[in-house]
Amino acid sequence: MNVLTNSARAAAVAFRSPLARYYASEASVGEKLRLNFVVPHQSIYKNVDVQQVNLAATSGDMGILANHVPTIEQLKPGVVEVLENSTTVKKWFVSGGFATINPDSSLNINAVEAFSLEDFSAEVRNFHCALLISNTTKRGFMYQSLPFSFSIAQAVKTGLAEAQRAASSGGTEEDQALAKVEVEVYEALQAALSK
Amino acid sequence: MFAVRTLARPAVATATSLSNAVQVRNMATLKEIQLRLKSVSNISKITKSMKMIASTKVAKAQRAMENARAYGNANNAVFLSAETKPASDSNSIFIAASSDRGLCGGIHSTVAKYTRNAIGGRPDVQVVVLGDKAKAQLSRTHRAAIALSFNQIGKDIPTFAEASAIVDIIKSSGVEFDNAHIVYNKFLSAISYEATAVEAYSEDTFKNSPNFAAFELEDDVLENLQEFTFANNVYWALVEGHAAEMAAKRSAMENATKNAGEMINKLTLTYNRGRQAVITNELIDIITGASAL
Repeated sequence: MNVLTNSARAAAVAFRSPLARYYASEASVGEKLRLNFVVPHQSIYKNVDVQQVNLAATSGDMGILANHVPTIEQLKPGVVEVLENSTTVKKWFVSGGFATINPDSSLNINAVEAFSLEDFSAEVRNFHCALLISNTTKRGFMYQSLPFSFSIAQAVKTGLAEAQRAASSGGTEEDQALAKVEVEVYEALQAALSK
Repeated sequence: MFAVRTLARPAVATATSLSNAVQVRNMATLKEIQLRLKSVSNISKITKSMKMIASTKVAKAQRAMENARAYGNANNAVFLSAETKPASDSNSIFIAASSDRGLCGGIHSTVAKYTRNAIGGRPDVQVVVLGDKAKAQLSRTHRAAIALSFNQIGKDIPTFAEASAIVDIIKSSGVEFDNAHIVYNKFLSAISYEATAVEAYSEDTFKNSPNFAAFELEDDVLENLQEFTFANNVYWALVEGHAAEMAAKRSAMENATKNAGEMINKLTLTYNRGRQAVITNELIDIITGASAL
């Protein structure tokens, strides 16, 4: 199953890159987009030239190439896709923030939290391994054959269900607003991970 | 012969009176010097360990500062390209970002001094103070101007959640402004810092910037943008101020340890001299006593 999704992703990339190249060359000759992608505690990209950035904004999903019209966009929970060159694509899940495109063809993304989608699976895989180890001591090897992706989806699902419960149950207005934000983030994460 | 005698006599006289004085003083203070020596060496132990703690924190704080700086610069790039400038008669507030802890040189007074100078003679300016130390200093001269103050700041590297909470409280307390000067200590090197200000703007100030029309945006994100950039700048100021504070604390504690060391050397010397004088005197007593028999 894991192999399948990997190959599917690779295929998608292979399909997208010629398109991206086409648009890039159309928009500008040899010019690159200067990316600053930062979260408070980490600089993910600091003045790095990239080809294209796809992000999920509140006004809709958008792809940004060099010489984009200056824009200010609020990010919604979702995936920021950075096409460093025609072959390398990196995906980050962000919970929210702002992206500003300046007239000098630089893109600044300030996000509150950003995690590589790969990190997500790695983190949950560790968690799952821990679960496996604790289970093996008690109930034999029951869970060993479970695929890893099961646990990621499961963790997000539980989180989502909990947030939904909090959102629908009576609380103060603030609590409900918080829970709604949580639901939004979980739904976006679920969508991103199931791709 | 006569000349020698007259010359020699006063010399002898002064020598005896001096040794008498020293003797009297030392007899009384030998114990005191010992006590003093003990307390100074205890202080030097404390300052030394504080220096060690600060130097481990400096590395961490500096790393956090690099990231916060990149974050703040990315955040302010939009205002730079929009050429945002507050109007000359704008309603400004000052946010002095320092911390609660002392023993770090003049780190809090530079922030207080800068804020004081920047306010100048302007009437009805509002000040928000982050940290008890700067509050104490500013309330001496601008007590009425302090609209809000926060403490429990600077125990560890400030987090974005703290900055958001501060901005949230400022906003809900109804402090209105066109532009906010966030005063903090800029980290220049491990041994130097300088108070500067980073600005945050209100929605209207941003809307009136000369190049604002160049940007495409939806109007409903403006308020969010304002709050977010404000929080980002407060975060940046807090984190950079923290790094400067830790570096200043390290050098302050290093100096204190050095001074204590010098003092210990001097006191040990005086103590030993005094002790020797006492022994010599006792010997003289014994010998004169023995020869008198």
